[in-house]
Amino acid sequence: MPLDPLVLSRMQFALTAIFHMLWPVLSTGLAIFLVVLEGFWLRTRDPFYYRQARFWAKLYVLNFGIGVASGLPMEFQFGTNWAPLSEFVGDFFGAVLGFEGAMAFMLEAGFLGIMLFGWNRVPPVVHFLSTVMVAFGANLSVFWILSANSWLQTPAGGSFADGHFHVQNYFAAINNPFMLRSVWHMSLATVETSMLVVAAVSCWWLLRREAAEAIRRFFSFSLKLALVILLVVAPMQVMAGHESALQVAEHQPTKLAAIEGIWDTQPAGSAPEWSLLALPDEAAERNRWQLGVPGGFSWILEGRSRLSHDVRGLDSWPQADRPKMVGLLFYSFRVMAGIGIAITLLMAVTILLWWRRGLTAETLSQLPWLGWAWILAAPAGYLAIEAGWVVRCVGRQPWTVYGELRTADAATVLPAGEILTSLISFAVLYSVLLVCALWFGSRIIRRGPDLDLTAP
Amino acid sequence: MDFLDLFMPAVWFVILALFLLLYVILDGFDLGVGILSLTSSDEQQRSVLMTSLGNVWDANETWLVLMGGALFGAFPLAYGTILHALYAPIYLMILGLILRAVAFEFRENSSQKRPWNLMFGLGSVLAAAAQGVCLGTVLTGIPTDSQGHFIGSTWIWLNWTSLLVAFTLIQGYVLIGSTYLILKTSGDLQRQHVRTAQIAAATTLIGALVITSTTPWVSSSLRERIFDHQFLPLFIALPLLGIALIVQLFRSLRLGQEVWPMVYTVLLFVLSFAGLGLLVFPAIIPPSVTIFEAHASITSLVFMLTFIGVLIPIMLFYNLYNYVAFRGKVPSLEQAD
Repeated sequence: MPLDPLVLSRMQFALTAIFHMLWPVLSTGLAIFLVVLEGFWLRTRDPFYYRQARFWAKLYVLNFGIGVASGLPMEFQFGTNWAPLSEFVGDFFGAVLGFEGAMAFMLEAGFLGIMLFGWNRVPPVVHFLSTVMVAFGANLSVFWILSANSWLQTPAGGSFADGHFHVQNYFAAINNPFMLRSVWHMSLATVETSMLVVAAVSCWWLLRREAAEAIRRFFSFSLKLALVILLVVAPMQVMAGHESALQVAEHQPTKLAAIEGIWDTQPAGSAPEWSLLALPDEAAERNRWQLGVPGGFSWILEGRSRLSHDVRGLDSWPQADRPKMVGLLFYSFRVMAGIGIAITLLMAVTILLWWRRGLTAETLSQLPWLGWAWILAAPAGYLAIEAGWVVRCVGRQPWTVYGELRTADAATVLPAGEILTSLISFAVLYSVLLVCALWFGSRIIRRGPDLDLTAP
Repeated sequence: MDFLDLFMPAVWFVILALFLLLYVILDGFDLGVGILSLTSSDEQQRSVLMTSLGNVWDANETWLVLMGGALFGAFPLAYGTILHALYAPIYLMILGLILRAVAFEFRENSSQKRPWNLMFGLGSVLAAAAQGVCLGTVLTGIPTDSQGHFIGSTWIWLNWTSLLVAFTLIQGYVLIGSTYLILKTSGDLQRQHVRTAQIAAATTLIGALVITSTTPWVSSSLRERIFDHQFLPLFIALPLLGIALIVQLFRSLRLGQEVWPMVYTVLLFVLSFAGLGLLVFPAIIPPSVTIFEAHASITSLVFMLTFIGVLIPIMLFYNLYNYVAFRGKVPSLEQAD
């Protein structure tokens, strides 16, 4: 098969995005956790909270550094590999990336130095303010990036003419139909995943027999705080996920058909089966086999026993207008939703046990499976996020700007060898990066907090 | 409306130039210190060098991200065309910046510092060299069709002019890095960087002289600009001013001054930058595509200006505050925390 520059550019974007996404998640969610911890410290002046803040900040900074570095190719790829897209949507999309840089990223990076090294250099209130700014900047980044990505999913606020998008109303473009629920869904995801990491690290320490009493106290606290935050966030995320699915149903029918493996149009008034598992066959345009819940689809989509309107199947569009890789989309969606529900259930079980036995190091040592369940939930959080982005962006194909600009027309015409070189080196580099990040991250975790640290 | 058609693209050209200048000065000394870290004789010295960057490197690098985003938004055509033409050097620059940034983080957490030190230094060299190549290529010109799309070869960036600019930019970064270290260190380390500053000042001067004297032969459009009677006095004055600054720089280094070497170096950067800006303006994809052809719609430019323009002084303020909070010499290891 001859190498197709379009395929290579897509692979490169997917590769860099999948790897990059692993890091900003923690630096966005954990930043909020750090604000809470430092808030405790500022109020009580108890060095316990100060040490909490210092320990978790170590994981934060490792993540932030790699996040910045691994994010650089994302921005520049729009120019190097997707120059026609840049020209087509630059008026709006480029402006939003500029806003992200000026409003969000610069804020985070500008105050980071003070947050990390400024403990003895600036007054505590200024330090707290810096931590707040870092967290605010990170979350503002989520807002702008998700607004930009949502606009590619549901372009609004202007018109397309002579190979350009002309903005008529910037606020309508920023506040496009997908924006609000996408930002909400992703913000919850960063907090949820970060708290899963905090809970997992805490459980790992609490399960260690040799951990000293002071260490147990330290991680009991961080576990509880993470669980309290999760108690709010995890159920909300299930709802936000459902809302996101509904907006897909409304605005991107091809994506809905692909994630549900629907090939034939389901008429209004019918009660179709909901497939739990299936083997979609794109050549035959049907599922080879499926395991389904009879009459379940309309309950999931509309909360009622019969569909109120037609749901189009994939075969109602010409092949060129629907996403490929239906199997990938079908299962990515199930992985994401399944993990979200599983974590909420784990949360509920833990709360129940907490209620009855008290959530202490002792409870965990009597119920090691509970600790291990939380430890396994941390990578599951990341997996859910990656799966969600696959659904979001692969499901949008064959469009880069949904319904307006095809991916094939968005790519720069480049020699395949050139993209292949950068693609392979990014693949190698990012793999090494991930291994190193896991290694150094686990080292920070294994070393544990410094309990002799004196507060400024 | 006519006024805005001329005014807004020019404003954005100036803003982009400001972002780029800030990047080149701030990440310039950052990259320079990275390159100089290769010359450190022991781990303790290197730690001081790294500590001097700890609180600022993220923010410094962000000016590049900001410049990229602003170029994308304000001149989408230029963003696409220039990055397309410079695929390889841009990709090498990103590679260098990634290597350098992660080496910085991993070194902190590692007991085996040697490989990360090397990666930090070499990543800095790679990033600096690639930036020089990009700058050199853009100055000599990027061939485009009538729509402003790139039509040249994949290897357009590989030529003597861009390599010369790359070499000079590396020297310039080493110079500004040395003067930063003169400011932030003391004792042996400071004396050592007075020497590197002297050497770098000499090599930068040679590079700058060669670039200045060969520029008129590099491309016809640059030649026309230089010998245009409106601009000629400026193009005579700028190099003379540059030489005066270099003389002052050498003098202040000899006198053992701490602040002035960096001030003179920054002024040299500003001066060179003004020269380059005058050479290309109003082209944004030299030699043929101007800011008036490549800009986003005027309403977009106005919209971006209301959001980003207001933020520029605020960004400058808190970045400055960061430097003020960490002013003075880099504390040694035992004082560091």
